[in-house]
Amino acid sequence: MSEGDIRLEGLVKNYGDVVAVDGIDLHIPSGEFFTMLGPSGCGKTTTLRMIAGFERPTEGQILLDGVDMSSTPPHKRRVNTVFQNYALFTHMTVAENVGFGLRYQKVSKDEAKRRVDAVMEMVQISELGERRTSELSGGQQQRVALARALVLEAPVLLLDEPLGALDARLRLDLQVELKRIQEQLEVTFIYVTHDQDEALTMSDRVAVMKGGKIEQCDVPQKLYEEPNTAFVANFLGSANLLSVEARAAGAGCDVILGNFTLKSESKPEQAGVGTAMIRPEYVKLEPQGSEGENRIPGMVEEVVYMGFHQDVRVRLANGELIRADVPNDGDSPEYEQGNAVAVHLRAANLRVLDDYPDQAADETSGDADIAAV
Amino acid sequence: MSATPTEQAVTTQQTRSPRFSLGNPWSKPRWLTGVTWVYILWSLLPVLLAIRVAFNEGRSRTSIDGWSLKWFFGDNSFSVFGDPALQDALTHSLLLAGLAMLIATPLGIMLAIGLQRWRGRGSGPANVVALLPLVTPELVFAVGLFLLFTTLLSTIGLGTTAQVIGHVTFSMSFVVVIVRGRLVTVGPDVEEAAADLGAPPLAVIWRVLLPLLAPAIAASLLIVFALSIDDFVVSQYLASGAETATVPMRIYAQARGAPLPSVNALATLMLLFTLLALVLAYVVFRFMTRGEKRGSAIEQIASIDSGGGR
Amino acid sequence: MQKRRIWGFLAAPGMLWLGLFFVVAFYAVISVGLGNINTLYQPIPYWNPLDWNFGYLVQAIESVIPGGQNWPVVVRSVIYITVAITGALLIGYPVAYYASRHAGRWRGLVVVLLILPFWISYIMRMFAWTNLLAPDGYGSKVLSALSIDSLFSSIGLLDGTDWLGGQGITVIIALIYGYVPFFILPLFASLDRIDQRVIEAARDLGAPPPSSFWRVILPMSKPGILAGLVLVALPMAGDYYTQTLMSGSPSTSMIGNTINDYIQGGPDKSLGAAMTILLSVVLLFFMLYYLRSLRRDQGEVAA
Repeated sequence: MSEGDIRLEGLVKNYGDVVAVDGIDLHIPSGEFFTMLGPSGCGKTTTLRMIAGFERPTEGQILLDGVDMSSTPPHKRRVNTVFQNYALFTHMTVAENVGFGLRYQKVSKDEAKRRVDAVMEMVQISELGERRTSELSGGQQQRVALARALVLEAPVLLLDEPLGALDARLRLDLQVELKRIQEQLEVTFIYVTHDQDEALTMSDRVAVMKGGKIEQCDVPQKLYEEPNTAFVANFLGSANLLSVEARAAGAGCDVILGNFTLKSESKPEQAGVGTAMIRPEYVKLEPQGSEGENRIPGMVEEVVYMGFHQDVRVRLANGELIRADVPNDGDSPEYEQGNAVAVHLRAANLRVLDDYPDQAADETSGDADIAAV
Repeated sequence: MSATPTEQAVTTQQTRSPRFSLGNPWSKPRWLTGVTWVYILWSLLPVLLAIRVAFNEGRSRTSIDGWSLKWFFGDNSFSVFGDPALQDALTHSLLLAGLAMLIATPLGIMLAIGLQRWRGRGSGPANVVALLPLVTPELVFAVGLFLLFTTLLSTIGLGTTAQVIGHVTFSMSFVVVIVRGRLVTVGPDVEEAAADLGAPPLAVIWRVLLPLLAPAIAASLLIVFALSIDDFVVSQYLASGAETATVPMRIYAQARGAPLPSVNALATLMLLFTLLALVLAYVVFRFMTRGEKRGSAIEQIASIDSGGGR
Repeated sequence: MQKRRIWGFLAAPGMLWLGLFFVVAFYAVISVGLGNINTLYQPIPYWNPLDWNFGYLVQAIESVIPGGQNWPVVVRSVIYITVAITGALLIGYPVAYYASRHAGRWRGLVVVLLILPFWISYIMRMFAWTNLLAPDGYGSKVLSALSIDSLFSSIGLLDGTDWLGGQGITVIIALIYGYVPFFILPLFASLDRIDQRVIEAARDLGAPPPSSFWRVILPMSKPGILAGLVLVALPMAGDYYTQTLMSGSPSTSMIGNTINDYIQGGPDKSLGAAMTILLSVVLLFFMLYYLRSLRRDQGEVAA
């Protein structure tokens, strides 16, 4: 078995009466780029800090390559962290920062120097070795923090919102680079962020967290295309949420929306009153009177010009408001308030979620509430 | 630091509606400027005159009378270096300040680090006890130590040892405030980072925490020195006789008595030591925190003492 | 963190030191104040609370209530301290306000000059005035040339022309002079912390300058004012040296002088200790108030 296999079993962390992490079971195989995604307070950072050893779990186990390490102090764990605000040692030079941890490993001076040089070259800070950390830009500091953790060649690297303090442009560059380094070293990366784009672009798998629990854990595409809950649907991208009733029918189900019955290829855990979800980009607007299944008449209520696409809000015949992304590709018509249209909700993209509608109503936030109301 | 947009805004407002500036002194910085500079003059001029008198040629302590260094180094038996009593006071003050500095600083640093981390039963009262000396009137403090050393600890008794203990006790709280301020600035992240990179707990303190605390340690050393050398009440209460008199005690005793500028000379020397210590503290603090983005070091050092009524 | 014991171990030496030389020292005051004296008038402390003798404490309390021996001293102390902290506020506030908001490019210099007196020994600053206010000193001459001494005499604030000859007004002015620097610093800190944009918002919402001062700046600086008042009042309550240097007359003595005389004077150490207990009880409220505000400030820094 190669190194860097992490297993969390029944992990719980309480602070007094507050439950920060509420029972997490997770297996992260060696060499995976794994992301924990969620809003602040969802327990993702606490989980990371427990893996690093800064917090002791109230219950549960943390296994690295099959060995429980929940009572191993942080300095003895073969796990290293890139901190949110870098936590660089301001009293040392860049090279001293990078070489810091090697002093506690049985490494000869020549070997240490070689490794420091190599890792600094890999993260492209070779020429900064003698600088003081206060003289560096945010991006450079980030690279130092990364190099400092990588030089120890631990099988697992923990990254706590490492790009959070950087501006958008730099963030994109570093995303690509992080992914490159991870693939090159074949190290397990456990990455914590609240930024959905970061999670989707870099990760092999993503766990969406909420209230100390894992809401859904899957590869990025499945998470985006097939969310199980309204929370996940909303956290990744935007979603139209519709209150519906679902009835089992063949491989999929029938979705009852007011007087209309639609087809869906998804199969909910249980039939009955629930929530259906469709991404705005899958909502197709067709000329009034188009025939076929899953088509509902509606009237354009508002059009917002967004550059490369138009955000068109349509009032459906049953009273619900739905959002459609219409690309500005020169072929699509331009809509205006008052246009009558037929709205096509494709069966392949219309998904019935697992959560109950009252739950869904609580969880929806941001732009989702246009659909839930 | 430069003329801020606000000030320009105030000025434009004034030109537009002079009624306000006439009716209200607060929008008229010129009035405040006057008060401030008069105050500064009032607060410093008496001391400057007392220093000037130390360089008098004549014997007057109330008026300027020529230039000389005779009250410092003169071979007459009245100069600071001619009068054994004055000279002893100076060396005794320096001795107390040096010892207080070397004892209070390490104790205060350990206490500050301990209190910052120690959560749990007893930490609340411990915090209060660590800060209470800052606000206890010096008289109460001195009476307590005086009675302690004349009853329970009469084996130690009054004298130099008691004075050093007294100075350490009140200045330790200042060290705690300074060091904890720095600990908050540094934050817990770097310590976690060091542990994460494999440093065992003692190495974290030694290789990361202490170097990062260095500016606070330097500031503490020199401020304890300054506090000790300026102290009067505790020194007086714990003194055992003429040989344990400090410079402030000499000044106090002779302020209304023997009218010779040698007392001014003694006070001048003491002030020189205090200011040297402070300038050194400022420079060291500034040097060690170079590159860190924070308020000016002057204000840092200023804020250190906002808890002291001495 | 993993190793919790290490923090208690680090704090231990300092806590032991403070426990012995601060907490036990104060307990010694209680033990002497509630103890007895031997035939040589030396105090015998009663360390066991069961043995406590409340005679001296009762005597001390009787001396500070109306009709008691020290009642005039208490009244005088309260008047001196009240007048002195009012004076300190009237001088300190405008200065702190200017330094924090209007000093512009002079700000660094102004702040240094405001801090400087802080680090000059209090005794030396008082000593400087004894030079100036001596009958042939520059201060006396200036005050005489400006006819301030005759003005003060005519309204009964000055008796004769000798400023150092047991004058209450001299003691009060010296207290103001001595303690204003301690007042300015917390005021400066609290005024400096007020966001300029808050004041601009008040202006923007139509408040003319006077009203933006009274309705915004003053209320926001109230914590600094209160902290400053307490910070200055506490040491004044235990001050005996200012009075001794600037007057020395029993007619201007303060509560600190009374305690100092009892303790350093000879046979009345137990009574002095009892008076110290009384003073501490009165001041404890203010001390804890100030510590609370200090901790609130540190909390803000941390957050």
